[in-house]
Amino acid sequence: MTFSQAISYFLREACSSLVRSWKVSLVAISTITMSLFLTGVFLLVSSNLRQLISGWEEESKLVLYLETAATVEDQKRLINKLEQAEWASSVNLVTATEGAERFRQAFPSLGELLEGWGDGAIPSSLEIVLNRQALPAQADFDSWLESLRHDTAVSTIDDDRDWLTQLEAVVFAVEALGMVLGLVLLVTAVFTISSVIRLTAYLYRDEIAVMRLVGATEFFIRGPFYMEGVLQGLVGGGCALVTLAGGHYLLLRQSADSPLSLLADKFLGPAELLSLLALGGLAGFIGAITSLRRESLGQTAEVDPEWEQEG
Amino acid sequence: MIELFSVTKRYASGQVGLDNVTLKIDAGQMVFLTGPSGAGKSTFLKLIYCEEIPSSGSILVNGRNVSSLPRRKVPYLRRTIGVVFQSFRLIPRKTVFENICYLPRILGSSAQEQKELAYETLRRVSLSHRMNASPHQLSGGEQQRVAIARALMNQPEILLADEPTGNLDPELSEEILRLFLEINGQGTTVIFATHDRDLIQRVGRRVLTLEAGQLTGDQKLPGELNDAIGPGQGTMGPGQGTIDLEEEA
Ligand SMILES: Nc1ncnc2c1ncn2[C@@H]1O[C@H](COP(=O)(O)OP(=O)(O)OP(=O)(O)O)[C@@H](O)[C@H]1O
Ligand SMILES: [Mg+2]
Repeated sequence: MTFSQAISYFLREACSSLVRSWKVSLVAISTITMSLFLTGVFLLVSSNLRQLISGWEEESKLVLYLETAATVEDQKRLINKLEQAEWASSVNLVTATEGAERFRQAFPSLGELLEGWGDGAIPSSLEIVLNRQALPAQADFDSWLESLRHDTAVSTIDDDRDWLTQLEAVVFAVEALGMVLGLVLLVTAVFTISSVIRLTAYLYRDEIAVMRLVGATEFFIRGPFYMEGVLQGLVGGGCALVTLAGGHYLLLRQSADSPLSLLADKFLGPAELLSLLALGGLAGFIGAITSLRRESLGQTAEVDPEWEQEG
Repeated sequence: MIELFSVTKRYASGQVGLDNVTLKIDAGQMVFLTGPSGAGKSTFLKLIYCEEIPSSGSILVNGRNVSSLPRRKVPYLRRTIGVVFQSFRLIPRKTVFENICYLPRILGSSAQEQKELAYETLRRVSLSHRMNASPHQLSGGEQQRVAIARALMNQPEILLADEPTGNLDPELSEEILRLFLEINGQGTTVIFATHDRDLIQRVGRRVLTLEAGQLTGDQKLPGELNDAIGPGQGTMGPGQGTIDLEEEA
């Protein structure tokens, strides 16, 4: 028998066993589905978050708010100093008037508030777009910031990267949590599949004994069980992907502008989807291997008690 | 050909299954194996089809030393040995056809080849008309014939039978025995374990007697059925022993 014939034989046997004992198979499949669905959700959220963050990082700026007393000389001196740093890809002066205008555009309803505050409400500022590739070591960058902070013309410095770093830590925590939860569920799924296959092997022990008796190799005896584990894993993975895609679609349709949809804006890529599916198959395979590990080799008579009523 | 050289089988529990047995069974022979319960008949057969490994001594089956056969090679040996039991060991969920086609299916025979082979083999046990029946639709004798067919599917050189008539009434027993004689007549070596002395007496042939694991007797019995055929059956080659049995019946 060729290898492909063997695989198709395993497939046929495994499928018919899945259909015959569909209730227990369903249990195994649904545990896989649950664990992979959850893993998928975490993957989806974290990859979207990462994308958001990296987008924000691209646009992240350093803003130097100047003292209201800062003179035009001060501004020139600062601009000159900033432009010398090779990681400042552009330096842009936002005058107090421009700043007020921006505020009005961003928060139209708060425009009156600004009138009340008068001229000095929004100070002029220097916006520096950072070139991420050219950034120096963190310590050097920090001391550079420090020297700016101590400049008499500078009132405060706003570094977008401060809160982006914090957000990254949050994403990391989410990923770690998802990984741990997914792993725990996946291990549970492996155990479930393992028990289901051990049960199947027990139910068919008479057949296994006959196969050994007539000279079937372990490859042919175990193959269908391994295949059954893999199939359960793949079907479970497929169900998880379908649920994930369906949930994603519904979420985007129901609440396209809610912040929630921001977290699930982009669906998983084909590589991630395939990995989830493969993870399911692998879990099933491992389950099958562990279930048959202690199965004794070569014995023909793991026999039904009914068979041994001799004498 | 089967040869045993000082074969001893001691089970892990300390029970002695076989005790220093040396003997030779030629190809094409029909041999009865008898002795009281616990004498070691089943052990003897299990050692031949490698269900058990001898504690000491060596066993040659068709020139191959099976006492030191690696586990992974055992299946290939078993394909040349058919085994039949008292409890027929048929799978109740499967049809007769499926029950006998386990090996051909694994060997990659096409559906058509399997059908033809199953039909031919079932014909040898006169059951070709019950191919699609379920085991529970068959009588005990018929079920045993299906088990025999399963053992014959791969044209084995050796057929082992462990009390194959133990669950059958005397009439059916004789029918099954005739079938074995017929199969032996076609060239297959047959070892038939039974404690039905009566059955053996009627047929004759070589009789090995075991007691507490020891070989205590190795005789050639003439037998009633045997007398009708002629003397010297014990060591006869294939195809000679059973010519007239069909007519006798
Ligand atoms: N798996 C085993 N483990 C331990 N002892 C065993 C095992 N199988 C057989 N024995 C012992 O070995 C001895 C021979 O047993 P065996 O089954 O070969 O006898 P037998 O001649 O086939 O008996 P019976 O006619 O009852 O079938 C007995 O004492 C039995 O208890
Ligand atoms: Mg016995």
